[in-house]
Amino acid sequence: MIERQLTLIMENKPGALARVVGLFHQRGYNIDSLHVDPIKDLKKYEFIEKELDIKFHENEISKLIIKTTVADSLMRQILRQINKLIEVIAVSDNDSTYLKGILRNENLL
Amino acid sequence: MKLAGNDMLIQSLINEGVEYIFGYPGGAALHIYDAIFNQKDMQHILVRHEQGATHAADGYARATGKPGVVMLTSGPGATNAITGIATAFMDSIPMIVISGQVQSHLIGTDAFQETDMIGISRPIVKHSFTVDHQESIPKIVKEAFHIATSGRQGPVVIDVPKDLTNPDDLFDYEYPNDVNIRSYNPPVEPEESQIVRVVEALKEAKRPVIYAGGGTIASNASEELRELNNYIKAPVTNTLMGLGVYPGTDKYFLGMLGMHGTYQANMAMHNADLILAVGARFDDRITNTPEKFAPKAKIVHFDVDHSSVSKIIEADIAVFGQVKNSLKQINNKLKSESAHFSDDKYADWHKQIDVWRQEHGLDHDMYKNLDDSLPVSPQAAVQQIYQSSGGKAFVTSDVGQHQMFAAQYYHFDEPRKWINSGGLGTMGFGLPSAMGVKLAYPDEEVICITGEGSIQMCIQELSTCSQYKLPIKIFNINNLALGMVKQWQDMNYDGRHSSISYEDSLPDFSKLAESYGHVGIKITKNSELKSGIEKALSLKDELVFVDIYVDPNEHVYPMLVAPNGSLKDMWLSKGNKT
Repeated sequence: MIERQLTLIMENKPGALARVVGLFHQRGYNIDSLHVDPIKDLKKYEFIEKELDIKFHENEISKLIIKTTVADSLMRQILRQINKLIEVIAVSDNDSTYLKGILRNENLL
Repeated sequence: MKLAGNDMLIQSLINEGVEYIFGYPGGAALHIYDAIFNQKDMQHILVRHEQGATHAADGYARATGKPGVVMLTSGPGATNAITGIATAFMDSIPMIVISGQVQSHLIGTDAFQETDMIGISRPIVKHSFTVDHQESIPKIVKEAFHIATSGRQGPVVIDVPKDLTNPDDLFDYEYPNDVNIRSYNPPVEPEESQIVRVVEALKEAKRPVIYAGGGTIASNASEELRELNNYIKAPVTNTLMGLGVYPGTDKYFLGMLGMHGTYQANMAMHNADLILAVGARFDDRITNTPEKFAPKAKIVHFDVDHSSVSKIIEADIAVFGQVKNSLKQINNKLKSESAHFSDDKYADWHKQIDVWRQEHGLDHDMYKNLDDSLPVSPQAAVQQIYQSSGGKAFVTSDVGQHQMFAAQYYHFDEPRKWINSGGLGTMGFGLPSAMGVKLAYPDEEVICITGEGSIQMCIQELSTCSQYKLPIKIFNINNLALGMVKQWQDMNYDGRHSSISYEDSLPDFSKLAESYGHVGIKITKNSELKSGIEKALSLKDELVFVDIYVDPNEHVYPMLVAPNGSLKDMWLSKGNKT
């Protein structure tokens, strides 16, 4: 068991954070730390706009950083569960990223 | 067109083609109910308890493939619906649940009938919405239907504060033609490279099994599955949720697998060298101990949900996409590969399966040669229901022994005919879900196979059936106890029967049904079984409640040995293990 960091890009909407936090509890994972901020500088995320053919505006999306300690074997499952949440646009761990349905084998976030 | 929030909500449902709303009015939903009163396109079905509304909408959805719609008031109205929403969630059934909420300015003040419906339902919905402004109602409804019915389907809750349905505040109404949620993009078409790998695996296999579940029904892929097996002619097993997706009377069909699956289905899975999991999720009632599951098998997993694949059992080949589309692509490849799938390709494998079937297969002829010196066997009762209804009925069930007997002995040749709570295992599901099915298919036979425990959890809906004239046929497999719990206590607790008996407190169900205006029939002897069931089915315009007193000591077999067992470890009868 080692501490892992997950990065999420999600809609900045009421209730969205609760879905992520709730998912950790429902599936039996613990959150060690959590940080969330609306994104003002969208430059870094232009690749998502391009990839998914969408357009972000200032403060419309949030970046969420979660640290969690879980077995390696569970990481893929956690990523997939988070990716399934309707308001999550992208999620990554150290070596993979889900851009909604699309899986990339590197941390793009 | 200018409309108030309440009319917008109702007009949006009409725009979605909704036929029935199952619900119960109350304070926070009064404006909405006024809008229901003022329209003619949809019929509102007034249930007797909100759990009944959710199960009825669920039954409607399972039978038709269209989402069921539920209308609730705030507070207890909303919380009463939770069991039904969780039932739909566990079985991935599309459902729209609209809950009234206290006025916006009262939210958070512990107002009368206030409850945080979004918070309470969060873990058991696919998604949920709070209406924040009247003008967003059409878009929210459109998105809710889209989310509920696409990808892995599921229930969606829309919580509507009362002030946003006020009939005096008018806004422009236009129902959107299409929907685009940028953060939601479930897979549809599979990757071709994976399809190629599946076909190669099939060519190499000597002992393949197709294991198809509820996802195949949800994807309306029954036809494609049957076509697939026309090419490869492999043995097929279905999960409890998948029954009917492949014909139950087909020679390649093994019966259900898992906890109470047939001997041949469980043995075939355990000994397979290739398992094609189609819209199934390797539930713990299927795998038994995951580490011991199908030790020699390569696993191919078709699913629309990434998080279902390799969750319990690691997939060797994962095919993400709508199951229907994935099977279509496989079939296109197999069409030109027929040389590799001769009729006798798996002949030895089929021969082995026939041996298993002969050894310990289920006896489907128990309904013949009955003897009044013996109690009625619940298996024979289900077999007689199957025979008398010609195997064509929609059958809903509750949860327990009667559910397993129905799954084992009623053969479903078509999908969406077998309606039961597989994932959550919700007692009380059977009667209200049958109401939803009967409303959807008024000219079809709709049977509810239940038990005296389950039926009492939603028995109030007998009144709803009377109001809307729903001639459902209810067969109550009455063993005077909570049979499945009792079975576990017999097998694992040395027969210490803790809290499974009602002592002498059961009602006379046939008289109870009569007091609601229905017909009651009581069967206590084998010689009454056939005539009683046939009489019930002959009364086309009546709800008939057939109370069948059965052997209270019967167990469901086979039964997987747990914990630490594999799929080949089964109890075959009392005291007799593989």
